[in-house]
Amino acid sequence: MKIFILTSLFLFTLSIGYTQVKISGTITSTRGNLIANVNIILKDSYDGATSDSKGQFEFTTLEKGPHTIEFSALNFGKDSVKVNIDSKNLILALIIKEEINTLHTVNISAGSFITGDKQKGAVLSSLDIATIAGARADVFAAMQTLPGAQTSFSESGLFVRGGAASETKTYFDGMLVKSAFNATVPDQASRGRLSPFLFKGTSFSAGGYSAQYGQALSSTLILESTDLPEKTTTGISLLTVGAGLDQNIRLKNSAITVGAYYYNLKPAYSVIKQQNQYIKAPELIGGNIQYKAKTSETGIFKFYASYAKTNLSLNSTDVNFDSVNYFSNNNTNTYINTSYKEYLNRNWKIEAGAAYNKDSNAGMMAVNSYSREDDMAEGRLTLTNYFGKLSNLKFGGEMFNTKRLESYNGLQRYYNDQLSSAFAETDLYLNANVVARLGLRAEYSSYLHQYNLAPRTSLGLKTGLNAQVSFAYGRFYQNPEDEYLIIKALEFEQAEHYILKYEINTPFRNFRIEGYYKNYGKLTKTTNGNLDNSGSGYAKGFELFWKDKKTISNIEYWFSYSFLDTKRNFRDFPALATPSFAAKHTATMVYKQFISILNTQVNATYTFASGRPYVNPNNLIYLADKTKSYNNLSLSLSYLTHVCKQFTVLYLNASNIPGFNNVYGYQYSKDGQNRKTIMPASKRDFLIGMLITIGDNTFVR
Amino acid sequence: MNNLTKSIALLLLLVSSNTFAQSINIKFQDAIKKGLSLQANAKTSTDFLKSANHFERIAQVETKEWTAPYYAAFGNLMAGLTLDDKTLKDQYWDKALQEVEQAESLSADNSEIYALKGYIQFMKMSIDPQSRMSFMSASSSSLAKAKALNPENPRIYLIIGQDTFYTPEAFGGGKRKAKPILETAVAKFAIFKAANVIEPNWGEEQAKILVEKCN
Repeated sequence: MKIFILTSLFLFTLSIGYTQVKISGTITSTRGNLIANVNIILKDSYDGATSDSKGQFEFTTLEKGPHTIEFSALNFGKDSVKVNIDSKNLILALIIKEEINTLHTVNISAGSFITGDKQKGAVLSSLDIATIAGARADVFAAMQTLPGAQTSFSESGLFVRGGAASETKTYFDGMLVKSAFNATVPDQASRGRLSPFLFKGTSFSAGGYSAQYGQALSSTLILESTDLPEKTTTGISLLTVGAGLDQNIRLKNSAITVGAYYYNLKPAYSVIKQQNQYIKAPELIGGNIQYKAKTSETGIFKFYASYAKTNLSLNSTDVNFDSVNYFSNNNTNTYINTSYKEYLNRNWKIEAGAAYNKDSNAGMMAVNSYSREDDMAEGRLTLTNYFGKLSNLKFGGEMFNTKRLESYNGLQRYYNDQLSSAFAETDLYLNANVVARLGLRAEYSSYLHQYNLAPRTSLGLKTGLNAQVSFAYGRFYQNPEDEYLIIKALEFEQAEHYILKYEINTPFRNFRIEGYYKNYGKLTKTTNGNLDNSGSGYAKGFELFWKDKKTISNIEYWFSYSFLDTKRNFRDFPALATPSFAAKHTATMVYKQFISILNTQVNATYTFASGRPYVNPNNLIYLADKTKSYNNLSLSLSYLTHVCKQFTVLYLNASNIPGFNNVYGYQYSKDGQNRKTIMPASKRDFLIGMLITIGDNTFVR
Repeated sequence: MNNLTKSIALLLLLVSSNTFAQSINIKFQDAIKKGLSLQANAKTSTDFLKSANHFERIAQVETKEWTAPYYAAFGNLMAGLTLDDKTLKDQYWDKALQEVEQAESLSADNSEIYALKGYIQFMKMSIDPQSRMSFMSASSSSLAKAKALNPENPRIYLIIGQDTFYTPEAFGGGKRKAKPILETAVAKFAIFKAANVIEPNWGEEQAKILVEKCN
C-alpha cells in the first residue's frame, strides 16, 4: 500500500514536470523604445532568453508556481517582476530603466580639463601631456595648449583668463607646491620642476574650482601622482643637455624609486644662439626618492622627496646705460610630499598629507648681492562620506606656514604667515542627469589678521546621452604676492568667477564651448611707493575646444581657441588697462600621429597669439601699443627601437621651425629714447635625447 | 512487513536522491554544452551575446561553478571582438572582466581563468593604447600567472601569440616574433586533453589559422 502511494506520488511529480509553459513578450525602455539583447532570466532556473532586435523574447520552462523574472542589459538597470506559472502560457510586457551608468552620468566640469589614464571625463592621457611637441615634457607648457591659458615665454607660470602667473597654483596630491618652477633668468620662462611622468592624472581648472583648493585667484593645476610601478626597471635618459638615471624597485606591496640627473646647457648654448650672454650656462643637478606602499586593499601611502641645485650667471644688455647687467643665481630647492589615503569602510574615505618646500636663491644683480629664501610647510586632512548612489560630502582642513627672508646688500627683511583653513563641500546628485556642488571655504591669515569666507557652487545638467551644460560660480581669495607682503601686511585679494559651459563628450571625441566673466577686487596696487588693496579688474571671454581621435586611425589632434577681454588696474598701473600678459586671441593646434612602418610617433604643435600690449612711455595712453602677433610651429619625433635588446626611444624636439621672429614686449629706457626687445631665449631650439628602459618586457612604455 | 516497507522506502529515497543529485549534474553539464554549441556556431556579436546571456543564467543558479562565468566572460569578449563600435566593445569587455574575476573568485589558481583574463585585459588596452598602458602590464602579469600555474595550457601561447601578431613591430610585436609562439601553441594543442567535456577546450583552429598567416 505504502509502496503504491510512493510510486504514484513519483509518477504524479513526473507528469506535472512534463507540462511546458511558454513565456514570451516584449521589452521596452521607459521612453518606449524596443530594447535588444536584454537577458531575461527565470530566477533560480537556467531558463530564459535574450530579446531580439524587435525587443521580443520567448522561452519555455518546466517550472511551476510563484517565480521571479529578472531582466538586465548593458546601459540599463536590473529589474524584476513576479509571476505565477501554472499551465497557461504567459505573455509579458516588460519595461527596463536606463541605468545610472558612470560613463553617462553628469559631472562637475565647468572650468576644468581633466587628464589622466583612468579618470572619468579625462580629455588627455598622461602620455598626451608628456609628448606634446614644443612642450618638452613640461606640464606647464603642455597646459598652454588648452583653452584658457596664454602662451608665455618670458615669464614662468600659467596665465589663465586674464590672471597673472601668481594666480595659478599647483597642487601635488592635494598639497600646494610653493616653488613649482626652476630657477629663473630675467625675462625668460623656466620649466616646471615636476616631471609629467610622476603623475597619472592632471586636472587643469581655468576657474570655478572646488572649495578644497584655496590661495588661487584664477586657476589651479591639480596633479595626482602615480601608484606603485608594476615592475622593477631601470631608466636611462641621455639628452643633448644632460643625463638622468632612475631605478624602480618593485616589492610585493611597496616600491622604491631613486632618481638622479645632471643637466648642463653649455654645449647646447654653444650651438643654439641665446639672447643673453651667459657667463655660466645653467647647470642643474638633482635627485629624488619615492616610496609607495599599499597599506591595505584600498589604502596607499606615498612619499616623495626631491633636491635640486642650479647655478647660472649672465650678462644682459641694459637699456638705460647702453651697457651690460650682470646677473647670477644659485638656487637650491627641497621638496617633500607625503600622503596617505584609505577607505575606512564603504562610506568613508580619509586623506591625510604633509608637505614641505624650501627654495633658496642667492647671487648678484649688477654689483648688488641678493638672496631670497622661501619656506612652506603644509598639513592637510580630508574626510569624504559617500552617500546615495553617487553623492558625497567632503570636509577637512589645512594649515600653511609660509616664510620669506630676503636680503639685499646685507639688509634683511622677513615675513611669516600662518594660514589656517577649513572647507566643506558636497556633490549632490539629484539623479544621473542633475548634479549640484555646494562648497564653502574659510581661511584665516595670522599675518594679515583677516578672515575670508569663499562660497563655491557648480551645477551640471545632462542634456543628451553625451551632452552636458554646466554652470559655476565661486569666490576666490589669495594672499598678495610675497614681494608685496614682505613690505606690508595687506589684505586678501579676491575674484569672482561666473562660468557657463556646453560640452559633448564621447570617448574619442570632445567638443566644448565655455564662456566666463570674472570680477577682480582688492588687488594689490602701488601708488607713489604706497601699497594698498585698491586695485580691481575684470576678464571676460569664451573658449572653444575640439579633440578627435576617431576620424583617422593612428591620428589624434586637438584645437583650442581662446578669446579674452580683460582690463586691470593693479601693481603700478596708473589706470585700467589690458596687462601685457594678455593676448586677445590665442589658438593652438596639436597633432599626433603614429607611423607604424617608421616606428615613429610624430607630434606637431602650432600656436598663434594676437599681439600683446606693452608700455610705451612716449604714448600718453598706458599700455596702448601692441606687439605683432606670435606664431610658433614645433615638431617632435619619437622613434621606438631597441638598443641592446632594451626598449629605447630616440627623441627629437624642434621649436619654432620656420623661425618666426617673436616679440614678447619692449623695455624702454627711462627717457623713452631707447628700447630693448624682449624675445624668446633663442629663435629656434632643439633637443635630442635617448631614453632606455631596462627590465620592461611589455611593449609599450 | 513494516520493516520491509521502511527499508524499501529508504532504498527508494536513497536511489531517487542519488539520481536527483546526478540529474542536477547532468542538467548543468547539458546546459554548459548547449552554451558551448551556441558559442561554436556564433557568427555575429548578437550570437555571442546570446551565448553569454545563456551562461549568465547558469551562473546565477550554479554559484559555485567557475565554468559558467568563465564562458559568459568569453562570450562577452567575443561579442566585443565582432563589433566595430569602440564604446560598445569597451563596455562588453568591462563586463567580461567582471565575469572572469567572478570565475577567479570561485576557482583559485586556475591557469585557464588567468589566460582569459590576460586576453581581456589586452583587448581593453587595445581600445586606446596611449592612455591604457596599465592594462598592458596587467595583461602580461595575468598571462605570466597562467603560465606559472600550467605551462602546458595551449591557450596561453595562443593569446600571447595573437597579441604579438597584432602588436606593431615597433612595440616588440609582428608576425616574425609571433610565429614561434603560435607554433608552440599548435604543438601544445595537439597533446592537450581537457579535464572533462565542459572545461575550456577552445582555440586550436584559431592558432592554426594564425600560424598560416605568419608565413
